[in-house]
Amino acid sequence: MRLSPAVVLPALAVVLAALVLYPFVGTGYGVRAMLQIFMWIALAGSWNLISGLTGYVSFGHVAFFGAGAYTGAILVASAGWSWPVAALAGGIAAALLALLIGYPCLRLKGPYFAIAMLGLNEVLRALVSYFEGLTGGGNGLSLPTLDATRAIYYVMGVLAVAVTAMTYAIITSRFGLRLMTIREDEIAAEAMGIDTFHHKLAAFLLSAVGPGIAGALTARDQGYIEPLSVFPLAITVTMIVMVLFGGKGTVWGPVLGAAALFVIQEIVWARYPYVHPLLFGAIIVAVVLLMPRGVLGLLQLKYRLPRTI
Amino acid sequence: MSVVVTPEMIGQVVISGILSGALYAMVALGLALIFGVMRVINIAHGPLLMLGAYVTFFLYSRTGMNPFLTVPLAMAALFVVGVLLQRTLVFRVVDAPELSSLLLTFGISIALVNVAQNLFTSDLRAVEYITGSWSVGGVALSKPRFIAFVFALAVTGAAFLFLKTTRLGKAIRATSQSREVALVCGIDVGRIHMLTFGLASALAAGGGALLAVIVAIQPEMGGVWTFKSFLVIVLGGAGNYPGALLGGLLLGLVEQLASLFLTTQLSEVVAYVLLVLVLLVRPTGLLGGRQT
Repeated sequence: MRLSPAVVLPALAVVLAALVLYPFVGTGYGVRAMLQIFMWIALAGSWNLISGLTGYVSFGHVAFFGAGAYTGAILVASAGWSWPVAALAGGIAAALLALLIGYPCLRLKGPYFAIAMLGLNEVLRALVSYFEGLTGGGNGLSLPTLDATRAIYYVMGVLAVAVTAMTYAIITSRFGLRLMTIREDEIAAEAMGIDTFHHKLAAFLLSAVGPGIAGALTARDQGYIEPLSVFPLAITVTMIVMVLFGGKGTVWGPVLGAAALFVIQEIVWARYPYVHPLLFGAIIVAVVLLMPRGVLGLLQLKYRLPRTI
Repeated sequence: MSVVVTPEMIGQVVISGILSGALYAMVALGLALIFGVMRVINIAHGPLLMLGAYVTFFLYSRTGMNPFLTVPLAMAALFVVGVLLQRTLVFRVVDAPELSSLLLTFGISIALVNVAQNLFTSDLRAVEYITGSWSVGGVALSKPRFIAFVFALAVTGAAFLFLKTTRLGKAIRATSQSREVALVCGIDVGRIHMLTFGLASALAAGGGALLAVIVAIQPEMGGVWTFKSFLVIVLGGAGNYPGALLGGLLLGLVEQLASLFLTTQLSEVVAYVLLVLVLLVRPTGLLGGRQT
């Protein structure tokens, strides 16, 4: 069986239309759950750009989520910006942070980048706690009350679609081919004349914007943030597990992984919160060793789908 | 913020820096060994250190054993754990792309921390065996830190002696220089890999055991040690084993110096900025990179 655009595009249109209409018929819990799935699709898709596509593992992607959350929250609470503009500012702040980290670390090949990202969320958490005047420190930061769940649902949905569409555009472009060449063999990529540093940096900046916006939207939605709630390692771990489980380096892998893991998490694992990280650790180990191409890899094999979509 | 710096304060900084630097060097030597021999960055290095700390805590609190005597036991226990990890999981990704080994050891790391949280609870635990300090010329010398320093020096020295003089140590260094040539010379590279991972885990465990005597421990203590060990390696030059010693001392000194001017809340920020600066200015490390 082959999936042709004549089948895929109408199916996609139906799904999107259903998602647009959902807030008018769904329950409060259902809308909130979909909102979460959108957020995870945006986060997982973003992580996939730098780590799945380019091969540079980011162990601290939650730092961009948190940076966006604090930027957005401060702009809304102290400067009185409207939240959609503040969310965009959150994305820009995250990209600036990525530039600051990526510039020294991505010039080098190898594990330097991964380790630098490993410490980044802890560092930001310490900084946010330290500069109490601006961030409220450990007491957190409250935003003025506003019921905008439905609006945030749509904006988060657009973000998820945008990240996925961007991934598609990148993967099917020469830029994406160059990124994948860097992943497969960086020295060969250099020998072919690819400016590896700037390509890696561009992929990294693009991968930071989505989490930044998602962080600012989440801050607005929840109305209260604190250092512990927006910089937990668990968010990075969940992104990684979703992408690996779905299939790294593909367009639909992160979408599939985010939706599947979120549902499983809600139904099954919510009952066993104490062993949650253990399960995630086990999934990472199992996927790396047993099915490095994820669930989508298995489907691609079975249905002869294109290998990168 | 203005701080009046007296000669005693400088002396205090140097002493404290050297004391903690020896611990950094010992733990980082383990990470450097695995990286040198297998080209794998072991993200689970810090959590292995945490397990070592708990071995000491439980031996001390259950049997009342002298905590410094538990150091070899913690090292032996984690040597076995390390060999088993290499034997069952890590050996499969030694030749795989870096992405695989980073993700695999990351998965192991969060699993180990979670197991510790469930088995040992997240409570802070402390081994209160020796407290207080000696006063040497106006400079306070913490007793547990000083004894831990002596132990760390002894263990690190023994590890260097092992690498330098014994046949097995030579085999490890040979494998780290060129795996292919080592194979041709009849070295069982798979066995060397297991031994290296065991040895590295033992070094981490030794650091954890000594740390348990100095500070309160908890399951999440390890993460920052993976990071700092890597920083020490970068400072010394990747694949350069004596460099780890210099890097450890340097990190200890810089951290203590920074604590003069900044709150300890920001000590991790200092280490992080140091890493980024070194990567920016001299990514091959202060002593130069891998000797080939």
